[in-house]
Amino acid sequence: MSTTTEELADKRPLHPLIDKAQYGLAAFLALAGGYVLYDAAMLDDAFADQPVQPYTLPFIVGGGLVLLGILLAVATARGDRPEAEEGEDIDLTQGTDVRTVGLLALVLIGNILLIDWLGWAITGAFVFAGAATVLGSRNWVRNITVGVALSVGSWYAFYVLLGVPIPAGILDGVL
Amino acid sequence: MDLLLDGFATALTPENLLFATIGVLLGTAVGVLPGIGPAMTLALLLPVTYSVGADSAIIMFAGIYYGGMYGGSTTSILLNTPGESSSVITAIEGNKMAKAGRASQALATAAIGSFVAGTIATVLLWVVTPFVADVVVTLGSPSYLALMLLALFAVTAVLGSSKLRGFIALFLGLAVGLVGTSTGQARLTFGNPLLADGIDIVVVAVALFAIGEALWVAAHLRHKPLEIIPVGQPWMNKEDWRRSWKPWLRGTAFGFPFGALPAGGAELPTFLSYATEKKLSRHPEEFGHGAIEGVAGPEAANNASAAGTLVPLLALGLPTTATAAIMLVALQGYGFQTGPTLMDDHPDLVWALLASLFVANTLLLIINLPMAPLWAKLLRIPRPYLYAGILFFASLGAYSVNFQAFDLALLLAIGALGFFMRRFGIPVLPLIIGVILGPKIEEQLTTALKISQGDVSTLWSEPVAVVVYAVMALLLVAMAVTGARKPSPSESPLLDAPGDSNDNKELVER
Amino acid sequence: MHPSRRMFRILALLTALVLAAAVSGCGVTRGSDDPDNRRLRMLIPNSVGGGYDLTGRAAAKALEDNDLTGRFEITNVQGASGTVAMQRLLNEKGADDVMMLMGLGVVGAVYTNKSDATPLKMTPIARLVEEQEGILVPADSPLETLDDLVKAWKDDPSGLTVGGGSTNGGPDHLFPMQLADTIGINPNDVNYISYDGGGPLTTALLGSKIDVGMSGLGEFEGQIKDGKLRVLAVSGEERLSGVDAPTLTEAGVDLVFTNWRGVLAPPGISDEQREYLVDRLTQMHDTDEWRAALDANGWTDNFATGKEFEDFLAEQDARVADTLKELGLA
Repeated sequence: MSTTTEELADKRPLHPLIDKAQYGLAAFLALAGGYVLYDAAMLDDAFADQPVQPYTLPFIVGGGLVLLGILLAVATARGDRPEAEEGEDIDLTQGTDVRTVGLLALVLIGNILLIDWLGWAITGAFVFAGAATVLGSRNWVRNITVGVALSVGSWYAFYVLLGVPIPAGILDGVL
Repeated sequence: MDLLLDGFATALTPENLLFATIGVLLGTAVGVLPGIGPAMTLALLLPVTYSVGADSAIIMFAGIYYGGMYGGSTTSILLNTPGESSSVITAIEGNKMAKAGRASQALATAAIGSFVAGTIATVLLWVVTPFVADVVVTLGSPSYLALMLLALFAVTAVLGSSKLRGFIALFLGLAVGLVGTSTGQARLTFGNPLLADGIDIVVVAVALFAIGEALWVAAHLRHKPLEIIPVGQPWMNKEDWRRSWKPWLRGTAFGFPFGALPAGGAELPTFLSYATEKKLSRHPEEFGHGAIEGVAGPEAANNASAAGTLVPLLALGLPTTATAAIMLVALQGYGFQTGPTLMDDHPDLVWALLASLFVANTLLLIINLPMAPLWAKLLRIPRPYLYAGILFFASLGAYSVNFQAFDLALLLAIGALGFFMRRFGIPVLPLIIGVILGPKIEEQLTTALKISQGDVSTLWSEPVAVVVYAVMALLLVAMAVTGARKPSPSESPLLDAPGDSNDNKELVER
Repeated sequence: MHPSRRMFRILALLTALVLAAAVSGCGVTRGSDDPDNRRLRMLIPNSVGGGYDLTGRAAAKALEDNDLTGRFEITNVQGASGTVAMQRLLNEKGADDVMMLMGLGVVGAVYTNKSDATPLKMTPIARLVEEQEGILVPADSPLETLDDLVKAWKDDPSGLTVGGGSTNGGPDHLFPMQLADTIGINPNDVNYISYDGGGPLTTALLGSKIDVGMSGLGEFEGQIKDGKLRVLAVSGEERLSGVDAPTLTEAGVDLVFTNWRGVLAPPGISDEQREYLVDRLTQMHDTDEWRAALDANGWTDNFATGKEFEDFLAEQDARVADTLKELGLA
């Protein structure tokens, strides 16, 4: 979806046409709604007779999502365009910077994959330094130093002061 | 009155004042962290406090409780990462204000609003606690269901300019709210026991606000040199005061009764307050871009609700929030018989607690108000560090609850949803409200109909329910009348402006 | 200076600092071989402040303060009423420094969540405490005795609303189901309403929204003393001190039911390790601190280890499985 987003955002200022990516969102809603309905259909009746069965609300929500997906597709075809969110730090005249978003997501995914092995004291520093570098802070010595200080500091603060034993991971026995 | 003076005498001894100060500082510190809240802090401190006297411990607990509320809103405003579920709504306008260089004002209106609400609520607590206890237990599921439906009804006030997108957000939120095994069967858990308890609202909020925002900013970071966010005026000006005081009072009016209701919930009054301020504001166009009323009201509501929680706790020994439950355990640990007789048996303790609430509230104002401009300067650090810090902080909060990489994956997944919602202009607030309201409505409806064995008339069998439905009917009529007079110009093309979209369609065909 | 070289120096400096900290004894995560000072970990299957948590932390504190063990690292593993924590204990197979607090509710949750991490796969260490269930009615209820309740319930099994403070598979849910079964009511007909803990359940009872409440009595003491709630019977072998109500057996219903809590270790640990843990907990059981914790929290001592606890666990597991299978929940 991100590539279409990019193409579209690139063209946007020049061609105020249909936002094709929005069909993707409509499809997502219909699919999500469809899955909610499927999941609801798999549920059994509750063990005691009761008027509100476990699948009652899911059928309403799932049906609603499918309907909204269809409505959005129709609206898109008729020229409905989203207003992407603006903000102080946001420049919508540029296209979507897929590389930066991708790298930032990779930093977060790296944290998810490594945290059990390396522990927060290391991956926390990686999150900070990685995110700061991706977002344009080129002084990576400082990035890493600040990151290590934050992650090791927060680890000790949680472990010693709050009594919340965040796993030390590979540094178990060292910290 | 003598009892109250005695209470203050207990709360104001140098030793207890010290405990109160430790409490508010500790509370603020943990309130700041998403994932760790006042309830957890109290529980962790419980073994430690048994070595000090009961009154000192209770006074410190009061400080932690109120401090947590302040800390939660500080990060909501500055970093867009709400620390507590009751400060989720604050982030919506508060962070926008901060980005516009009005962080000091947002923090100040939050602090003063919390103080005003906390003070009024504490006075109300002194006055009404002995009387309302018996009323509170007469409310059953039908009444709660009616209140939840009222809240759902108020969602229409926050759907945003495109009703279609508002409903998309609401239904996505309701779908997220379905996750879990609350009905006895696993729904939308993909067979994963880690999803059995559903997805915590704080995780949803932090992911949507903080992670979604960071990804969105990464995609569209201004490449020209960034201007540093102006710190602006350090204090609230006359206009800010004028626009804040009514929301403070209205927020208190929402918060206190909801806090006193055993199944009210701390989030609901903040959201009702927000919806009300948006409807009543003379500057509705500022909502979504940093309207001070949207901070003042919900903040007052959450503090008033915190005080309201103590009504059933003190009068009946009924804990209505996790924090209150731990305070109850603490009281029992000191050998006090909690329940309806607590106020008669130990008036000194109860009044010391009430006095210390007031003291804690005052301390928090004294500490936080001068801090507001200092905190605001935090935003001057370079953008890459600001957003890296937010990501670091959000990850730490999500991880510290269960030490599970899965929670971080969930954070990223919902963060990605937040990114696409920004891309497609889908408002975040209705989703949050869907997550909060969906499970509550289902639970109350199920309980009500189970008790009545399917007899639907039970739903309007309680006076409170009847009154609430009547209010909703009146509001509907009022909306129909005003709506007919001035049609809103900014509706979605699908629903209101087929003419425009036809023009666009021709454009496409060309 | 070349950035990578400066980088290297800083890293070297940091490494040196970390090593220095470790050598100088700052290493808070380092264990010790001394049996009286071993660092142990404890898993708690619910949030801070819950019943398991209070029991686990009280035990850990008694162990630490009496120099029976070193510091405990206590981790609250929430999720699916304990199923997630059990899974984690299973994953710790063979680990010689971890134990988990659990109880009847966890046994039930493992079945309702259809998890493989069953209690019987773990290494049983000790049962610590038990809590009786009480049958509560509002003060103005027409039900005066257990007989009244049995009669009313049999007349209209699903018309009588039964509230409890736990979800399906928890103690407050298992108890009415087994009670119904004992007096000849099909558990499938029981109109059980699950409340989110003792607070909401009390509210419902005080407001007479439900006919009967079933729960541990700890959270209801005040209401009972004040006469706002009445106890029809308690579920243990003996009467509960301070509560004027018969046991089920005395009142003519042949059922004994208690909610218990105990300690398990991961599967695959050595016999020495198992004996070490049993020995430490047995010593802990005799400390003044543990006695004081029992008193303060209103827990009944029910200490058992070895074969006794192993058999008990197997019996409980089978009983819970029967009840839940009958309800179609397992």
